[in-house]
Amino acid sequence: MSWKNVKLIFLREVRDQLRDRRTLFMITILPVLLYPMLGLGMVEMMLTFSEQRRIVVVLNADEMPASPAFFNERGIADRWFSGSTDDASRLQIVTDLSVDTQQTEDSSGQGKHGKHSPDQLLENGRALAAKLAELRKATQARDAHVDLSEIQDRLGSVFAETGLQVLVIVPEGYAASIAALQNDANIDGADDDQQPPSLLVVRNSADDKSVVAFSRIQGALNRWEDELRAQTFEKAALRPALQNPARLKWVEVARGEQVAANVWSKMFPAMIVIMALTGAFYPAIDLGAGEKERGTMETLLISPARRVELVLGKFVTILMFSIGTALMNLLSMGFTGKHMASAMAGGIADTVSLELPGFHALMWLIILLIPLAALFSALCLALATFAKSTKEGQYYLTPLLMVVMGLTMFCLSPAVEITPLYSVIPVVNIALLLKGLLLSTSQSAELVIYAAPVLISSLGYSALALWWAIDLYNSEGVLFREAEKFDVRSWLRSLNRDKEPVPANHEAGFCFILILFLQFVAMSYMRPDLSGSDVEAGRKILQTTVIQQLTMIACPAIFMGLLLTTSLRATFRLRMPSLNSMLMGVGLAVLAHPLSIELSSFMVQSGVLPPPPVEGLNRINELLQSSELSPWLIVTVFAVTPAICEEIAFRGFILSGLARGGRLKIAVVVSSLMFGIIHMIPQQAFNAALLGLVLGLLAVHSRSLFPAMAFHLCNNAIATFHAKNGFGIEADGVFFSNGDGMLRYELPVLILCGLGVAAMVLRMVNDLRKEQDVKRADAMKAFNPPAELTKHIPAGA
Amino acid sequence: MIHWQQIATTRIRLPTQLETQGRVSWWGFDSLNPKDSTHATVLQKMSQLPLQHPPFGEDSHMIRVHGLTKEFDDFNGVFRALDDISFEVQPGEIYGLLGPNGAGKTTCLRILSTVLRPTRGFAEVAGINVMHDAEAVRRNIGFMSCNTGIYDRMTAREMVEYFGRLYGIPEEKLQLRIEELFEILQMNEIRDRLGSKMSTGMKQKVSIARTIVHDPPVIIFDEPTSGLDVLVARNVLHAVAALKEQGKCIIFSTHIMREVEKLCDRIAVIHRGQIVDEGSLPELADRHDQPDVEELFFDLIQKRDDELSPTTVV
Repeated sequence: MSWKNVKLIFLREVRDQLRDRRTLFMITILPVLLYPMLGLGMVEMMLTFSEQRRIVVVLNADEMPASPAFFNERGIADRWFSGSTDDASRLQIVTDLSVDTQQTEDSSGQGKHGKHSPDQLLENGRALAAKLAELRKATQARDAHVDLSEIQDRLGSVFAETGLQVLVIVPEGYAASIAALQNDANIDGADDDQQPPSLLVVRNSADDKSVVAFSRIQGALNRWEDELRAQTFEKAALRPALQNPARLKWVEVARGEQVAANVWSKMFPAMIVIMALTGAFYPAIDLGAGEKERGTMETLLISPARRVELVLGKFVTILMFSIGTALMNLLSMGFTGKHMASAMAGGIADTVSLELPGFHALMWLIILLIPLAALFSALCLALATFAKSTKEGQYYLTPLLMVVMGLTMFCLSPAVEITPLYSVIPVVNIALLLKGLLLSTSQSAELVIYAAPVLISSLGYSALALWWAIDLYNSEGVLFREAEKFDVRSWLRSLNRDKEPVPANHEAGFCFILILFLQFVAMSYMRPDLSGSDVEAGRKILQTTVIQQLTMIACPAIFMGLLLTTSLRATFRLRMPSLNSMLMGVGLAVLAHPLSIELSSFMVQSGVLPPPPVEGLNRINELLQSSELSPWLIVTVFAVTPAICEEIAFRGFILSGLARGGRLKIAVVVSSLMFGIIHMIPQQAFNAALLGLVLGLLAVHSRSLFPAMAFHLCNNAIATFHAKNGFGIEADGVFFSNGDGMLRYELPVLILCGLGVAAMVLRMVNDLRKEQDVKRADAMKAFNPPAELTKHIPAGA
Repeated sequence: MIHWQQIATTRIRLPTQLETQGRVSWWGFDSLNPKDSTHATVLQKMSQLPLQHPPFGEDSHMIRVHGLTKEFDDFNGVFRALDDISFEVQPGEIYGLLGPNGAGKTTCLRILSTVLRPTRGFAEVAGINVMHDAEAVRRNIGFMSCNTGIYDRMTAREMVEYFGRLYGIPEEKLQLRIEELFEILQMNEIRDRLGSKMSTGMKQKVSIARTIVHDPPVIIFDEPTSGLDVLVARNVLHAVAALKEQGKCIIFSTHIMREVEKLCDRIAVIHRGQIVDEGSLPELADRHDQPDVEELFFDLIQKRDDELSPTTVV
């Protein structure tokens, strides 16, 4: 590969993009102008519009105690509202106190939304109070003839029609009874009848306006009640301290910059993810699909540059634009935010100073941006290469954008923090690490240990995506894709007519999706009924397992094999294996078991995998260990059935389909990943994926399904007995030990097993490699000159 | 009038088979070496010998194709675009591929330019098997078709320069070569014009300059005149003829009979993936007793259709 060519292509693409006004606009003008404009717009909006006033109607307002006075001449006295005077102005209070109060309300209230005049509102309030009284009476009387729910319904609709948000009803003689209570504070003389009637506040929780009005009036009433209580205590000559015996006090330790950190830690990771993707999105479409659309793809392909060089040159270009867009957006957003906060000082933002994150956090931001942008660039390039036109490119990239948005939303949730598992999930890992680093400067030492897995895994994913893009550039079907008219009928006909011995790649993929889908659908129906005695429940579990294996795993594969292929023998690898292969299958199973047990428990201990759901599994284990179930039955269900069904599906149909076209390595890896995914529980999935690699290798190497079945059967049987009683092996502390109530393997056993497995796997890989080399050389013979042409070539050549 | 004859005044030595097979870079831009076997002889003997008789034996074929087959998968099953095609082309010869649209011409030429891979069969350009070293093959050919567009946001000069650099031409030589090409092709006034602002004729000139900037021994023209007006098409044909005079090995595909009559030394009529007949025009006219080129073409195509119809179930 020539880096000179990569550089040439990179420089050309960058120049090309910079000459494109749209790209320039997207990456520079838009962020530079957008955020200040948005900020300005927001300030304008705040200044221009104030919140609509909510209407509170107070009936019998003159019954409120005169001291402390809840009302003044303009409505509720300002001192009952906390903080600024805004709260008071956001409520329109309509009382039946006196005519001139109503007049002042009249002018202000009707100007805004003159639907109801204060008189009308009062009238409506009274009607509502009457309905309420009716309901209360009916409830108290427990009259069977009156339908309570009907009255309640009517009450709700009447409330909606009144045009008021909260109704406060002061009961008759409220002030007098409070005064009486204050005068007679003695505990001896008190009796229940003397309780003053309660102040009624009517609201509608389903209506947001009502909720807002209620919370404001509630705050005011609470403060008023505090004052009233203080007066009462004073009159009763009680110590004022008794009012708040618990004496709660809140201390705020957050400094301004931490508040800012909190804001940035939410905004920056989300912005960086979305902007890195957007920045990659448009150049990628232009460099991939655009090249095809404008008819320059073939010009480029016939240049001596290799495909790898083309892809790398384009990739670096997209990467640059992705990083550039993300940084420009962050800078612009950061400065706008900071400027706005200081511009609005004295307003609501005076408690928050939006200091930009520190130097360290910003360095991390840039370091983490690179693998993120690399992943997006490679993915976008691959998808855009696959597309025929820019329009099609946008169709393919939109789902990517949506998935990434979903992941970002997930990361924004305050409860989500980085864990070992999250640190290897693409996009999520970077967003979460960045969130943690921006949030706290003090904890960053703790978080830095995650930097290695996050960076390594992200770069790994980028490399995979890049490899995919290069692969697409080598596929002539992708580069010269004609616009095929998709016709369902001709497609079905071709499915039937062009059957081949083994399934196609996409048919294998579909089989996996079908199995996954069936499992998903059946999740709620196939839950075994655990009621009844232990033995009964145990039997039910066994039964469900067998049904599940047969219907959801074996059936799809077998039927697809029957319908879509011509040779069941080739598809399901039904060939007689050599004795050697069978022995290898059994031997590998025995040797791999300790390794898989120890590895998965190590993964759980180190926190990479979540522990298995203990409760459910324990119960099932208990049921299965009940002595009345014969061990042979259990082995049949948990070892023989999966060995047949799962192998037919995964090493049969799926692996054969994936391996068509000769890409054995990828076929084995992908089929084992699928095998892992189908096992759902993370720990099992991890185990299954690893064992799937060995199973796939066995099947490909022996060309037969039976060694894989033998491996699977032995593995499951061993695992069953291991869980049951540990084969009766006693812990000696050197080779075996005991932990968590089960047999554990010590290092000497693990080393022996590891050597054995490695030897066998290497042997198989070697055999396959030799075979592949021979096959490849054979295939190249098809392109050699025929004999009559070669004889003319001079001897020196 | 453009002086096409001058197109390749700075000579580039042709690669010897040994060099290309040993992947030795043959870029030297040496002035013509009289001792150099291949290229010098071609030029000396070209004017003396009639082209029907190859000047230096059968080994000098620049392009050799034997039993070339290409199959595509699509919804309607396997489609065989090329079916067992064989032909050879010598330096200083224009070989015409004549056939209706969809006959397999473009597929064949794309395989020769290594953009597509054959399903089976042998194809060799300048002594290099297309399946063995695709990059070396691409370095030895110039390829121009209606599908090889030019970049909208690049000027004529930048475009030619870019491809010259991808071919690895040393910078000094490249600048000389570009000056020369722009002079001969009369492109100096569009030197700094963006591709999007060019007329079709200008674009075609840029394409020609791009195709021959590295002075390749083999040049492939895939329907280079399709969609061009008469004047531009004429210029292109002149360029092809001039390149032949320089001793280039040229494949020229078209569906226009007149062009074949004018340019090609030998032609192959290709239809439905197979060569129906091959030879010089007089030979073909004799063989099928049809002096009219157009009628000859239709007869041959009809013959192939008749051949296929009893066996093909539609």
